[in-house]
Amino acid sequence: MKLQQNSLKRSVIYAVLILIAVAMIMPLLIMIFTSLKGDAEFASEVKTFLPKEWKFSNYILALQATNWAVYFKNSFIVTVIAVAGSLFFNTLSGYSFARLKFKGRDMIFICLLLGLMVPAQVTIIPQFMIMKSIPFFGGNDIWGNGGNGWLDTYASLIIPELSGAFGIFFARQFYLSFPKELDEAAEIDGCGILMRYFKIYLPMSGPIIASLGILKTVAVWNDFFHPLVFTTKEAMRTVQLGLSVFQGQYSVAYNLQMAATMVVSLPLIIMFFVFQKHFVQSLLSSSVKG
Amino acid sequence: MKKLYHTILPYILILPNILIYAVFVLLPLVWVFYLSFTEYSVISPAKWIGLGNYKAMLSDSIFQKAMMNTMLYWVGTIIPIMFIGLIVAVLLNSKVRGMAAFRAAVYLPGIISSVAVALTWLWLLNPTQGPINMFLELLGFNTLDWLQNTKTALPAVMVVGAWTGIGFAMIIYLSGLQGISDQLYEAASIDGASAVRQFFAITIPMLKPVTFFLLVTVTIRSFQVFDLVYVLTGGGPVNSTTTIVNEVFKAGFQEYKMGYASSLAIILLLITMLITLVNYRYGSKQDV
Repeated sequence: MKLQQNSLKRSVIYAVLILIAVAMIMPLLIMIFTSLKGDAEFASEVKTFLPKEWKFSNYILALQATNWAVYFKNSFIVTVIAVAGSLFFNTLSGYSFARLKFKGRDMIFICLLLGLMVPAQVTIIPQFMIMKSIPFFGGNDIWGNGGNGWLDTYASLIIPELSGAFGIFFARQFYLSFPKELDEAAEIDGCGILMRYFKIYLPMSGPIIASLGILKTVAVWNDFFHPLVFTTKEAMRTVQLGLSVFQGQYSVAYNLQMAATMVVSLPLIIMFFVFQKHFVQSLLSSSVKG
Repeated sequence: MKKLYHTILPYILILPNILIYAVFVLLPLVWVFYLSFTEYSVISPAKWIGLGNYKAMLSDSIFQKAMMNTMLYWVGTIIPIMFIGLIVAVLLNSKVRGMAAFRAAVYLPGIISSVAVALTWLWLLNPTQGPINMFLELLGFNTLDWLQNTKTALPAVMVVGAWTGIGFAMIIYLSGLQGISDQLYEAASIDGASAVRQFFAITIPMLKPVTFFLLVTVTIRSFQVFDLVYVLTGGGPVNSTTTIVNEVFKAGFQEYKMGYASSLAIILLLITMLITLVNYRYGSKQDV
C-alpha cells in the first residue's frame, strides 16, 4: 500500500517536471525547427511542428545575408580580451586586498563595493560622454574635443569590462580563505609579492577563474546595451547588435531569422553543455554574501 | 629602495582596476547627479536648471507610465519566477532521475541573450503565422496581435521575462534545498508529519535566506529591464510597454535630452539603493 502510494507520488513528480521542462524548452525547439523550414512551408496552409523538409541551407543563406563574419569577429575579440583581462586584473586586485597591507586599503575597498549597487544603466549617459571625450583618440585633441574618442572602437566595449567590483570582491573573499602560513612559508623561501601571486595564488585560482570567467563570458557575449550606445558603424557591430538589425532587415524571413538567432546563441549553448557543473557553480557564487 | 618598492607595489597591482573603476563608474556616478540638475543637449553646454528635470518628471505622463509598467513588470515576473523556480527545485531535490537534463532544460532560456530571446518570441507571437496564434486557431480560439495590442503587450513581455528568469531561481533554490539536513525531515517523519506539513514547517522556513536573496536580486534585475522591451516592442504600442531604462535611452540617445535622461537614471539608482538598503537591513541578519 505504502509502496503503491510512493510510486504514484513519483509519477506525479515526473509528470509535473516533464510538463514544466517541455514548456520551458518548447520555444527553443520551435526556434530550431522554424530555422530549418523552407520558404514554401511558410506559404502553405498546413502548418507542422517539424519541418517537412529539413533545409540546413537556411543557415548558409542567413549567414551570407549580412556581414556575420565581421560581427562574430568583433564579439569574439571583445569577449576574449574582456574576459581574460578582467580575470587577470580582478584576481590581482583581489590578492592585493586580501593579502597585502597598505594605507587606505579598506577605504578603497569600500569605495569599490559601492559600485556593486550602481546599475550599468544609471551611468550610461556620462559614460557615453567620457567615451566621446577620451583625449588623443578618434580625432580628439588634448582636451577631448573635436572627435569621437573611443566611440566606435573596441576600447569602448572592452575597457569598462576590465574592472568589476564583483570580480574583485569575489577574488578577495576566495583568497582570504587561504591559510596565512602559506605566505609566511613562501616569504621565508624568498618569494616576493608578485612571485607569490604568480606561483601560488594564480595557480590555485581555478574555481574562481571558472566561475568569474563564465559569468563574464555570458555577460559580455550577450551584452546589447553597451554596443547599442557606444557603436554606430557597421564594422564595429557585435553579434547581438547584428541580430537586432538583421531582424529589421529580414523581418518576414522568419526561417533565416531563427537560423541567425540559433547561430548567435550556439557558442553559449555549447559552452553551457560542456561546462554545466561550472555554470551552476558560477550562479551560486554570485549569491555568496560578504 | 626595496622598502619603497614594497610600499608602492600594492597600489600598482590595484591601479588598473581602480583607474577604470574611477573613470567609468565613480566619475559617471558623480556626473550623472550633476547632469540631472541641468538642461543639456550635447550641442550647447549644460545649463543649470535646479530641480527642473525632477519637476518635469511629475507632469510627464510617459514617465509615469514607464514607472507603472516597470512596477507591473516586476510583480508580473517575480511571482512566476520564484514560484515556478521553487516548485521545480523542490521536485528535482526529491532524488529524481535525469536531474541534470531537467535542470538544463529549465535553465537554458537563461543563458540565451535577450536579443535572441526577443527574436524567438517575436516569431512565436507573430500575429499572422506565429505558432502561438496557429495553436489557438486550431483550438478554436480568437487570435491576437499580442505585442501590438495595448492590453496584451505588457503581459506578453512579462511572460518572456519570466521565461528567462525561472532557471536562475531554480538553481539558487536547489542549492538552498541541498543545504537542509536530511535529519530534519527524518525527525519530522518519525513524528508523523505529512509531506505537505514538512514543506511548510521545514522547507519554507529553512529557505528564507535564499528566498530573500532571490527577492532582492530578481527585483533589482527587473527594474533594469530594457533589451527585451527595446527589441520586442520598442516600448509601444502607445507606450504601453515602456520602462524606466527605455525612457532613459529614449531621452538620452534619441531625443538628446541628456539632463532629463540623467534625472530618470537617478530615479533608477534611488530605487536600486532602496532595495539594497532593505537587503542590508533585513538580509544580513540571516546566514545563507
